[in-house]
Amino acid sequence: MIVGPSGAGKTTLLRAISGLQVLDQGRIFVGGKRIDQLPAHKRNCAVVFQEPRLLAHLDLLDNVGIGLLARGVPRKERRLRAAALIEEVGLGAFAGGGVKGLSGGEQQRTALARALCAEPQLLLLDEPLSAVDPNRRSSLMELILKLQSDRQVTTISVTHDRAEASEMGQRIALMIEGHVLQSAEPEALFERPETERAARFFGMNVIRGEVGGGRLRLVDSEIPVSGPDGDAVFAIRPESVDLSSGGGLEMTVVESVYLGSYVRLRLRAGQTEIESHVRPREAPTSGATVRVSLPESRLWRIPER
Amino acid sequence: MLAPAVVATLLLFGGALAGAVEQSFTPPLGGGLESWTLDSWREVLGDPTFVDAFWFSLRTTVAATFLSACLALLIATLMRRHSAGMRTAVAFPVPVPHLIVAVVAVLWLAPGGLADRVLGSLPLNLVRDQAGLGVVLVYLFKETPFLVLLLLAVMGRRLQEQEEMAAVHGIGRWGRLRWVIWPAVRAPLLIGSMIVAAFVFSAFEVPLAVGPNYPPSLGTYALEVTKANAIDGAGQAAAALLLGAVASIVFALAILGLFRARREPSER
Repeated sequence: MIVGPSGAGKTTLLRAISGLQVLDQGRIFVGGKRIDQLPAHKRNCAVVFQEPRLLAHLDLLDNVGIGLLARGVPRKERRLRAAALIEEVGLGAFAGGGVKGLSGGEQQRTALARALCAEPQLLLLDEPLSAVDPNRRSSLMELILKLQSDRQVTTISVTHDRAEASEMGQRIALMIEGHVLQSAEPEALFERPETERAARFFGMNVIRGEVGGGRLRLVDSEIPVSGPDGDAVFAIRPESVDLSSGGGLEMTVVESVYLGSYVRLRLRAGQTEIESHVRPREAPTSGATVRVSLPESRLWRIPER
Repeated sequence: MLAPAVVATLLLFGGALAGAVEQSFTPPLGGGLESWTLDSWREVLGDPTFVDAFWFSLRTTVAATFLSACLALLIATLMRRHSAGMRTAVAFPVPVPHLIVAVVAVLWLAPGGLADRVLGSLPLNLVRDQAGLGVVLVYLFKETPFLVLLLLAVMGRRLQEQEEMAAVHGIGRWGRLRWVIWPAVRAPLLIGSMIVAAFVFSAFEVPLAVGPNYPPSLGTYALEVTKANAIDGAGQAAAALLLGAVASIVFALAILGLFRARREPSER
């Protein structure tokens, strides 16, 4: 799974792997075989794009079976194998028809079936859920994970959505401005980012301060921390910022946004500003003064570079 | 919504056609449609020059239309990822009148013309040749860019994305042309070719300037009978051009029928 903000180069990377983008330098190997000198149609890397890219002049079965066309599979067999995949992605009821009447989610399922029907060595998913209705995303995500697991096909998926990356990826690479900043399991990226940018991308608060004698001096309070003395950068998740146990850091609520399952608070003290997520019934109002605790166990000291 | 366009078409083209029909059945010395006659039609159909003109026009029309369609498909496929400036340059001949192109062709390609002076002698006689090569060349120069413009209009980003999709599913260059590009371009190519064919079949300026003295084209035949026969020439010209119009319609219907019959099974 590759995650990163818009413009990070995620799609360019997938295009380079699939052969749609010419490389300026570097080499690409899949299964030990160098593929960057091969044209796209010879790489055996199927792509599910952000948009389904179905061919309106072909019916559903021929759309799904298009990958078998290049291998010279007879039309009857192509359609039989396509029908089996269409059934698998839950579109069996539409198998006899065209693609024009399909909804966005159904079209993306068709695109997924089409990619799998080509029996690729490597499956590339370019934000396949981004154009799908939010209510249908989870079912499509489950389907992708199930098919990927059943077929044991190596898959690289890119997204800008960190939650989606965490749900779908066994391993996540964070990509920013064309570089992979960190590659790890989801929990490590969400809890122990190696850079300040990674911390910010994964939604953590970043706190700069001076450590002396095992304590971080922040505004007019001191917070116990581990590690050597000196300037340091810490990260903490908004869910870990504790307002209930009356900590030593006094802050003002400058913004309070109700988001259904939690309230997002923006807290400020001097130049320091952090975000906290609290349950709606425990949320203070905007303008209130609160005492904040930053638990030592939840504070992550970002390694110096 | 379509009413204004339908009314304008009926008035302009329907009116002209009705006038031609009336003219072709009107007795040479007048008298109106009460005393209508088939004389003009008999004269035309019995005239071997008309038959030769018809076949000459058909030949040059089929050649010019087919070649310009093929060339347009090739150029559009090669040009589609070029800049707007390049596309505009390719479209340059579209607004230039046919007659000007024909006159320039004569200046350059006629024996003793500019090309002769620059290159010595040309290997082929393109102006006034019996096969109508010069006529076909002028139409190629004029009509190919028109068809290229029609094709480029459908060869946008969407088609490029579909080509990419086909490529990453294992479809090679020719397969993409067959399964992705051709289905997208064939309708505009067909419609454009029909327009080109209908125009070339009955136009007279280019054959008049570049074509052979004999056989004439259908258009030049109509012009010549009108000039040669002041009494019933107009009726014969109308009959000849109406026959040309009927042939154009039959030709268009045949192409449409072929187009429908050749569609993919899953498109039906």
